[in-house]
Amino acid sequence: MDPDTQIGGPHGHFPSTQLSLLEAATDGLSSEALERVMALYWKPVYRFIRLKFRKNNEDAKDLTQGFFATALERDFFSRFDPAKASFRTYLRMAVERFAANQHAASNRQKRGGDIQFEPVEDQAIPTESPEQIFEREWQRQLFALALDDLRAHCDASGKQIQFRIFEAYDLASDEAERPSYAGLAVRHNIPETAVTNHLAWARRTLRGLVTERLRGVTSGDAELRREMSRLWI
Amino acid sequence: MDLSDSVLDHLRSVAALPDFTETRYEIESEIGRGGLGVVYAARDRELHRRVALKVLESALAGEAKLIAGLEHPAIVPIYDAGSLPDGRAFYAMKLVTGARLDHYLAKAPSLAERLRILRRVGEALGFAHSRGVIHRDLKPQNIMVGEFGEVYLMDWGVEAVRGTPAFRAPEPNMDQRSDIYSLGALLEFLLPASAAPALRAIAEKAQSAEPHLRYPDVPALLADLDRFQTGLAVEAWQEPLAYRLRRFGSRNAVLLWLLAAYAGIKFLLFFLRNV
Repeated sequence: MDPDTQIGGPHGHFPSTQLSLLEAATDGLSSEALERVMALYWKPVYRFIRLKFRKNNEDAKDLTQGFFATALERDFFSRFDPAKASFRTYLRMAVERFAANQHAASNRQKRGGDIQFEPVEDQAIPTESPEQIFEREWQRQLFALALDDLRAHCDASGKQIQFRIFEAYDLASDEAERPSYAGLAVRHNIPETAVTNHLAWARRTLRGLVTERLRGVTSGDAELRREMSRLWI
Repeated sequence: MDLSDSVLDHLRSVAALPDFTETRYEIESEIGRGGLGVVYAARDRELHRRVALKVLESALAGEAKLIAGLEHPAIVPIYDAGSLPDGRAFYAMKLVTGARLDHYLAKAPSLAERLRILRRVGEALGFAHSRGVIHRDLKPQNIMVGEFGEVYLMDWGVEAVRGTPAFRAPEPNMDQRSDIYSLGALLEFLLPASAAPALRAIAEKAQSAEPHLRYPDVPALLADLDRFQTGLAVEAWQEPLAYRLRRFGSRNAVLLWLLAAYAGIKFLLFFLRNV
């Protein structure tokens, strides 16, 4: 692949280690591809099923597990056509069909008896649609995985101080908790400019890691660009 | 790691910020964003001037080279181009101060001013076409009118651009005629409700669904606009007789007045001679 056309580019700090879904499918790596997909999509699928079909925790878990098992059995990737939709949309629609069929089958078994809707217990009433929540969970999980990658990368390359500064500043639960640059400089006994440099490094490294995670679950550069444009604020 | 909504939004925001720490530029504020990139107002620390910085994905870096090759008074000059540590491309260009065309129209400019702007845009477009470059996304939001009346056509497209629906030609494969369609849509957008039918006809011809029915090139459209402004019949419209007479009358008003005066004097002399 021409490095100039790769997202991450020739100066990107992260060589492209994750094959796109289509490359993975042609190279016979579908199980590895499925692992990547499951790591990212398990939670969004679970949340989507819970809200869309009003399933309780255990049923939603079973359906999520069932969906991915069926996806593996039925050669799910080979039917994905990137010209029609993003993989994220394709997967959500497949989940919707799968869960609707299972839901209908379960209701048929109950026919004649008391059909009861499962309560969505202990959950606040969401203000967003299940589709919006699916996308939100997808973003959340993508960043969570990239943060794990960032921590591992920092540990492996002796950049623990960069991660600690980033963690204190960018992972603070709210503005009130966020320390000042000067405070971080005193805490770590480094100049304030080093704090901003470390933060800038961690942020661009995180961006690169998010991009790599995303590359592994998209069909190629065009879809990757579209998905990235939905990700950054 | 479980991320709260506020932390997630913060990460989405900071991870998107371009890192200019190792360059001569210092970002001041975001001034616009589109599907292909984000534009920031920034300060050039070396030359002590303000510039506009456009940041876009590396695959679209060709956009800078594309525009840098177009030196025209109505095309924003590129000062510099480069890439960021995360692989994204950027280019620095003149920071145009003024109003976007759709905002500028709120000042209710005259028809002559509206047509002057269209002409400037058309000239830039024609120049680009002569260099083999098409714009792909011509629309009021991509045109700036500067404080000295200068007009700039911005956001030159790349392969990924597919245009904006109201101004986009219907054909799937875009070429110069697709830009002519958009120029016609722009003319229609600029025309006040009272505009002459001949002007509307120019806009309609440029927006023909079939590309071969449009003007063959931008100069042909501008020439028709010239004909309108000098009182000649436009190619785009088969005008009714009443319009033709009215146009003839307004174009030859002095001659008609002289003829009328001559006829009046002749009549008066004839009358006096026979008294």
